[in-house]
Amino acid sequence: MELALESPARLHALPGPDAAPVPPGSSDGELLVRVADRDREAFELLYQRYVRSVFGLALRRLRDRQRAEDAVQETFTAVWRSAASYKPDRGPAAPWLYAVARNAIVDRMRARTEPAADPPEVASSEPGPPERAEASYVSWRVHRALEELPPKEREVVELAYWSGLSQSEVAEYLHIPLGTVKTRTRSALARLADVLEGEVE
Amino acid sequence: MTRIPDFDEMVGEEAGPAERERLRRVHDLLVTAGPPPELSPELEAGPTLAMSLERRRSHGWGRRRVALLAAAVVALALAFLAGFMTGNGSDEGSITSAKVLELRGTALAPDALASLRIDPADPAGNWPMNLSAVGLPKLPPHGYYEVFVTRHGKILAPCGTFIVRDADTGVSIPLNAPYELQSGDSWVVTRQEPGQHTPGRIVMRPVNA
Repeated sequence: MELALESPARLHALPGPDAAPVPPGSSDGELLVRVADRDREAFELLYQRYVRSVFGLALRRLRDRQRAEDAVQETFTAVWRSAASYKPDRGPAAPWLYAVARNAIVDRMRARTEPAADPPEVASSEPGPPERAEASYVSWRVHRALEELPPKEREVVELAYWSGLSQSEVAEYLHIPLGTVKTRTRSALARLADVLEGEVE
Repeated sequence: MTRIPDFDEMVGEEAGPAERERLRRVHDLLVTAGPPPELSPELEAGPTLAMSLERRRSHGWGRRRVALLAAAVVALALAFLAGFMTGNGSDEGSITSAKVLELRGTALAPDALASLRIDPADPAGNWPMNLSAVGLPKLPPHGYYEVFVTRHGKILAPCGTFIVRDADTGVSIPLNAPYELQSGDSWVVTRQEPGQHTPGRIVMRPVNA
């Protein structure tokens, strides 16, 4: 018999009997509009599309996994609460979601109780706030776009870019022909270009 | 640091100049963005019920405010989650899709909220269910919660037991009703004290009961 479960209660996608299922390929904005109408299926889909982007952004800013997870919780709670304030005619959903996540993360940063550090004596060579903000948004959009890839294409991208494998090594690792790896990689890059076109220059 | 992949090796010579430039920009973005983070099992599992109940995990609101908000959300959920099994006049055999029963805490657990999903029966007559609950307090050692099906307002039979470690993170548990359910049947959650073998005090009941 199932007894102790440590995981939080999950929100199962349960649109009411009168709610139409979410059409495949719905845009983020269309999902947000449905979330404003308390559509839990749309909320779960939006979560799946953005959880990595939100968590990645929070990790970069907060540099602490637990606090970053708390920021994810805060972000999606805010999305559920405030989805009605998203106006599709004012632009795509990604920047709206980014702003919600950024606010939740800033709240977490302000909640820190550590004393302020002494000012450095020499100028830091690290990127300043504008550069960091731009890099954060690039990562945000790229990680979101990766969610659009079919699993087999995403796999070759991840192995090539973040596991350090050459195309031949990817082929060997996956036990598929080298030509298939190249085809999937090109297809993945083209698909990402389609998704990112016009949003990240 | 992971080596940067060779763009020319990946894309080859087949693409024209314009397409190569387009793919090159994506390549540069992938390098700049770095890998997406590994999600914890918690995050990987999907959104929590607490998110849609607008409950905060570790700071902030007073209990009264949370209770008021939760009540408002339950009322809102009622407007969208039709298909309750209680009092809707549906026959057992007509239930062909999942139904959701919203429960809320009694005076013993005023902050508690839950959704009980009842799936269609399997050929053998089992009714698989899943209870997602937040706000139930952790019980003393050997205490536990138990879910009962009720008929005509009286406890009929058990459907499963569970414990809670943290009220805010809650639980999500599979249950089963291996009974011949009837129209109007409902469910409650009881609090079972250590050593208690009869149905305990009711801590959650349907919101429309």
